[in-house]
Amino acid sequence: MARLSVPNTARLPSSVRVDASTSAVVKSLNRLTRESLISLALDWLDESAFPNSTPFLRARMSEEEEEEDNDEDSEDIYPPARTVEDLRQLYEDMRQQKGSKRDVVSRILEGDWRHGLTLYQLAMADFAYLDEHPTSQKWNAYQILPLQKPSHTEDEQLLKVDKESLQAPRFHPSTFLQNLQDQVLPDVKAHYHFHRLQEFPLLLLRIFVIDSPYNSALALSSLDQSGTVTNFDASRTVYLAFPDGSPSIYTTKSQGTGSAGTGESRSLQNLIIDGVPKALSRPMERYTVKSTGITTRNLTALLDMKGPGRGNAAGGGWSIYSDEKNKQSPLDAMLPTPPGSREQSASTSSRKRGAPLTQSQRDRKRARAAAQSRFGDSASISDGKGIERFEVVLQDPFPVTSRNLPALEENQEEDSEDGETQGRINRRRSKVESVLQQAVQDIDDMDDVNEVDTSSSHWTPMLKVTFSGPHVFAGIRQLVEAGIIDGKRMPGWMTGEETVTKGVVHRGRIRGYKGSGI
Amino acid sequence: MASETNVVEADALGDEIAELEEQIAATKKQLKIQASTIIASIPSQSLVKESSRSRSKNNKKLLKGLQGQETHQQQCLHRICNPVTAFKVHDPDPNAVDDGHVLGLRFEVMSRSQFLKPYYVMLNRPYSKFSALRVHRHTLPSAIPLAGLAARHLPAPKPEDGNPPLQDLDQFVRTLRREIIRYHNRLGISADLRRALGLHQVTEEDTEPTSIVEVGIADIEAKQIKLTWADERHGRLVMDDDGKVTKFSVFGVDGRDWETTKSLFDRPQRIEEVVEKLKQSSTS
Repeated sequence: MARLSVPNTARLPSSVRVDASTSAVVKSLNRLTRESLISLALDWLDESAFPNSTPFLRARMSEEEEEEDNDEDSEDIYPPARTVEDLRQLYEDMRQQKGSKRDVVSRILEGDWRHGLTLYQLAMADFAYLDEHPTSQKWNAYQILPLQKPSHTEDEQLLKVDKESLQAPRFHPSTFLQNLQDQVLPDVKAHYHFHRLQEFPLLLLRIFVIDSPYNSALALSSLDQSGTVTNFDASRTVYLAFPDGSPSIYTTKSQGTGSAGTGESRSLQNLIIDGVPKALSRPMERYTVKSTGITTRNLTALLDMKGPGRGNAAGGGWSIYSDEKNKQSPLDAMLPTPPGSREQSASTSSRKRGAPLTQSQRDRKRARAAAQSRFGDSASISDGKGIERFEVVLQDPFPVTSRNLPALEENQEEDSEDGETQGRINRRRSKVESVLQQAVQDIDDMDDVNEVDTSSSHWTPMLKVTFSGPHVFAGIRQLVEAGIIDGKRMPGWMTGEETVTKGVVHRGRIRGYKGSGI
Repeated sequence: MASETNVVEADALGDEIAELEEQIAATKKQLKIQASTIIASIPSQSLVKESSRSRSKNNKKLLKGLQGQETHQQQCLHRICNPVTAFKVHDPDPNAVDDGHVLGLRFEVMSRSQFLKPYYVMLNRPYSKFSALRVHRHTLPSAIPLAGLAARHLPAPKPEDGNPPLQDLDQFVRTLRREIIRYHNRLGISADLRRALGLHQVTEEDTEPTSIVEVGIADIEAKQIKLTWADERHGRLVMDDDGKVTKFSVFGVDGRDWETTKSLFDRPQRIEEVVEKLKQSSTS
């Protein structure tokens, strides 16, 4: 008689095995390099990890069986080792020798772990991949905000964000996990694994979700009783990252190993995002999460924009104030060199030597100085803080004043598909400009954040601009340095000073003062 | 053969050039230090001022340098004497509110009798009808509750409101500085503890079971300190805003270790006292 398995809300234990021939298992091992595979296997053979990653050993068999097996051994390509020490030695030797990656993968799957890999091992394999390829995931940043304390007079009230709160949320991994587990429904099972990446001050949580009421090996059995449904293929993985010393949280979109619908994966994403604030909250201390409009693959950039450091609300040109290297002690009596003066001194010496600068050289120098003044030391192509996508929606009325002209011109360049409209725009500009300039200036005069947009009578097209590339702001900086964009008239959001990757531009500024986060 | 000797010669010349360039940079720096020292001294200042009547080109340059040095010195003096200094910034954004006028606040922080990089808070005035201030940019770490303080002391006016709420910049700056200094003191406490226990240099051999092997900050605001002993006991210490220890607990391999907890923490007391006890218990 089969053992009775009662559906409950417990989590999946780490020691549950997945069949080694499952395509997802093979795939997750195959994407690792040979070195990391070997070190992973050695980690699995470590004493602390041993209960969750026991290898297939000969010692398990009784002696009689062993004698019978002796004949079969010749056919077995990977004869099972006797002890863990032997295996450890074997992998150490493999590390010294040269060989192909495929050998290691097949040794693991068909030899030492032929009885299946545990969920723990799969999680470690995934994190090994993330260690090798930190940009393989796309992260969304959320801000953790405190909620107002519920008052006793009203029962059902929507809690508002407590703007005056001075509390910072406290994150404790095991408590968090316990609370998060309480939010998960009984017909879904999840496996959790914490990990610290080597180069980033982050604590990562991998959540592996399976649609199954069982929390035993039954949940992962590749063949159901009906013989058709494969549960493992319908599994999904979501990562949560908790940066050290910052009240924010980064998540990835869920990835299915099989053919899970996009709608389904989005609902899981929402489920987790809804569950996270509840898991962070404590009695009399509630929190909510709010999207910050930052989406990037680059964790370094993310930590710079929403991390523990100084750059959270001082991007772009303002980074000269947050730069740790530029330390000006008041006890230093020496006159500080203003930014950009180094280039000036270099050019003066060259002028002494050679002929006076030509017009183009002078323009170039001016463009460089403009770029320096707008970007500071940020947005250099080699700083490793490149975001790969920057999207803004322009809500400004179309008439082009001298102030937002460069922005619109830039948009035309980026939106190459709108090329044929350019001619029309130029014509329109000349006609409408004189009429509307006055109106726009009026709006500027009574500039107010809280004020309702009065210019709705003017033509305001929905214009979305997307910049993409390996390092968007470094690219814009290079365009400024090359003199293609006028550095003086370029709007501030193009320097990346708002520290967002998505935003709505209104009156030439990103709405909502994203940078200061207030 | 000839080409080889040429390569060798070129390498030697390249090395020499690099060396000379290094020398030039060092000498230039030296020159700058000397120049600023000379120009900052009182006798030379009076000399320059006396000779200011002669309007030679060199003299003008000297005067300009003197003026620059004087303003810089004055700024430094202000920064040394006042923990918070204000300055004016121009926002380079052409669409900036209030014509790009920005008020910068500089918060000095010190650690181990050294000035650290100051924190900056930039305020602007985005409201047309009111002259109310608003935080524009800042370089504060997330541990400082800037948003909460700004909402308390610099409330935003609402357009329908006839009389806007009063903003108290003075109080804002005071409380903000208090939070910054508290945060740095808390950071300093755990750094002191780590130094006192000799954890900043890794030593493997002399680990007794009663010695603490790890001290870490456990939360964003640095109010909690995580302790790990060599015999796998671990503890947690919670302090309040003013550095008073409110909670302390030690867990052994089998449950709570009440003895150690009691010996280190029997009544609410200052963090410094607990740190002192920890030092003694760890070294003895």
